[in-house]
Amino acid sequence: MSVYPSLAPFILKRPWLTKMFKPLATWYTSAAGYRQLGLRADDLIVEENEDVLKALKRLPPQMAYDRVYRLRRAQQCSLMQKLLPKDQWTKPEEDTPYLEPLIAQIKAEAKEKAALDALTIVKNH
Amino acid sequence: MFSRTALVRGAQLATRRQASCKLAQRRGYAAAASSAPATFNYETSDVAGVKIASRDSHGPTTKLAIVAKAGTRYEPAPGLTVGLEEFAYKNTTRRSALRIVRESELLGGRLNAYHTREALVLEASFFREDLPYFTELLAEVISQTKYTTYEYHEEVERVMHVKQPKHDNDPSVLALDAAHAVAFHTGLGAPSYPTATTVLKGYTDENSIAAYAESVYAKSNIALVADGASSATLSKWTEQFFKSVPASSAGSLSLNAKSSNYYGGEQRLAHTAGNSLVIAFPGSSFGTFKPEVTVLAALLGGQSNVKWSPGFTLLAKAAASSPGATASATNLAYSDAGLLTIQVSGGATAVRGAAQEAVKALKSIAEGSVSKEDLTKAIAKAKFDALSSSESGVSTILSAGSGLVHTGKPFQIAETTKSLDGVTAEKLKTAAKSLLDGKASVAAVGDLFALPYAEELGLKV
Repeated sequence: MSVYPSLAPFILKRPWLTKMFKPLATWYTSAAGYRQLGLRADDLIVEENEDVLKALKRLPPQMAYDRVYRLRRAQQCSLMQKLLPKDQWTKPEEDTPYLEPLIAQIKAEAKEKAALDALTIVKNH
Repeated sequence: MFSRTALVRGAQLATRRQASCKLAQRRGYAAAASSAPATFNYETSDVAGVKIASRDSHGPTTKLAIVAKAGTRYEPAPGLTVGLEEFAYKNTTRRSALRIVRESELLGGRLNAYHTREALVLEASFFREDLPYFTELLAEVISQTKYTTYEYHEEVERVMHVKQPKHDNDPSVLALDAAHAVAFHTGLGAPSYPTATTVLKGYTDENSIAAYAESVYAKSNIALVADGASSATLSKWTEQFFKSVPASSAGSLSLNAKSSNYYGGEQRLAHTAGNSLVIAFPGSSFGTFKPEVTVLAALLGGQSNVKWSPGFTLLAKAAASSPGATASATNLAYSDAGLLTIQVSGGATAVRGAAQEAVKALKSIAEGSVSKEDLTKAIAKAKFDALSSSESGVSTILSAGSGLVHTGKPFQIAETTKSLDGVTAEKLKTAAKSLLDGKASVAAVGDLFALPYAEELGLKV
């Protein structure tokens, strides 16, 4: 379950489509510019959301610390209107989802809770 | 007027009812109170390495429990037993905690987990026909619980913090814990629940609890006890579902299996919530059953069995002389040690008075001043207590299970009651004398200005 609606699962299932879209995706992520600020894709997930807040609390301490460090560094860059030196850019292999699995887990829990707890009263009139 | 047939029919019914009544009564008396009927005792067997015990009273409900040798005396670090207890029925690799609860609710079942100083019990009560489901559930809980970090922080830790004040504000629980601590130091001396000031950091977290679970939940360390299920069906389902449980302990945290040693001593704690004084002596254990100590506990008693009367017991009389105090004596039996405790609670000065009277009563027993009638009453009371507690269920699942994990056979109440008959006034006298000559364990919690020292009571510590 993805955090945002996405076509990616559909495309990834089809190798020929993946092959077609790969250059476009690479171009897009680098054009998005977050890697030049040392961020990871999961750092961009909007925090103002109960599920995401809960997921952030479940992060292991080291990961939570690193996340705050990346955010502050990016903020500083943004303030100074500069990019990081090229050796500090996020490398594509470092840009792994670390928060999304937790959010997916929390959403699955909520979904299960709704399925097991939902005794909805449907009015006939 | 009544018709003749109606009258005849009424008379016939009345005689028939009387006759059947007599028959039932006769049958009731025919079963002697001390020799228990067959359904009373647990049938034991060994199914694929799991020790199981079952007792079938052919009722509509069943109680199934896993009794593990993992009480507070076995924990290698403080808080592990409680942590493991709170982790019961949490997320497993196969289903979530919520699903476990909802499914058992749908079946009308009830899940419970509790611990004593020696045993950790996971218990399920349910309708008789749901035995397979709950056997599978218990096996899953002990072998496939995930022990996740977030559950530890979000649920287990919070529940522990909520439960702690309940113990911390009860002087009688604190006094009993303190008496155990001075009597046994480590092992049985560990507090039954970590207090708010117990250091848990560095000892208890999800990883250490998971490691402890690995060494606790092994086939050699657990017993499966069922009350209300036939032996054949239980072994059938156990064989099927308990395959995934490891045969022997594999965890990195091994159990603290040191045998208990009695030390004795005194401990005093200031507390504002109330006053409690515990005077304890080495008592009767499951391993070495001392009938005279059990009878002594019954003779000291304290709880009245008759309404509006203090009863015959010596402690009830002792407490009556200082209004506001309650005193009671119990023999707390463990596998390799026992503790005969006299607990006095109430106002500080009343506790002081009652404690002095209680020690006087114990000394009078040691001098042999117990009347023959009181002795007979005490033996009957001890016997009744043992048998009636075994009927009500809770203590039997626990005692059968802990007997099974400790000695390999359940602790059968009916057998022990026979030895109570052999207690004479002379035996009681020597038992009381040896207790008073030995070291006592005294714990005072509350207003320390008024509560007496052991030496003031005339006890050796």
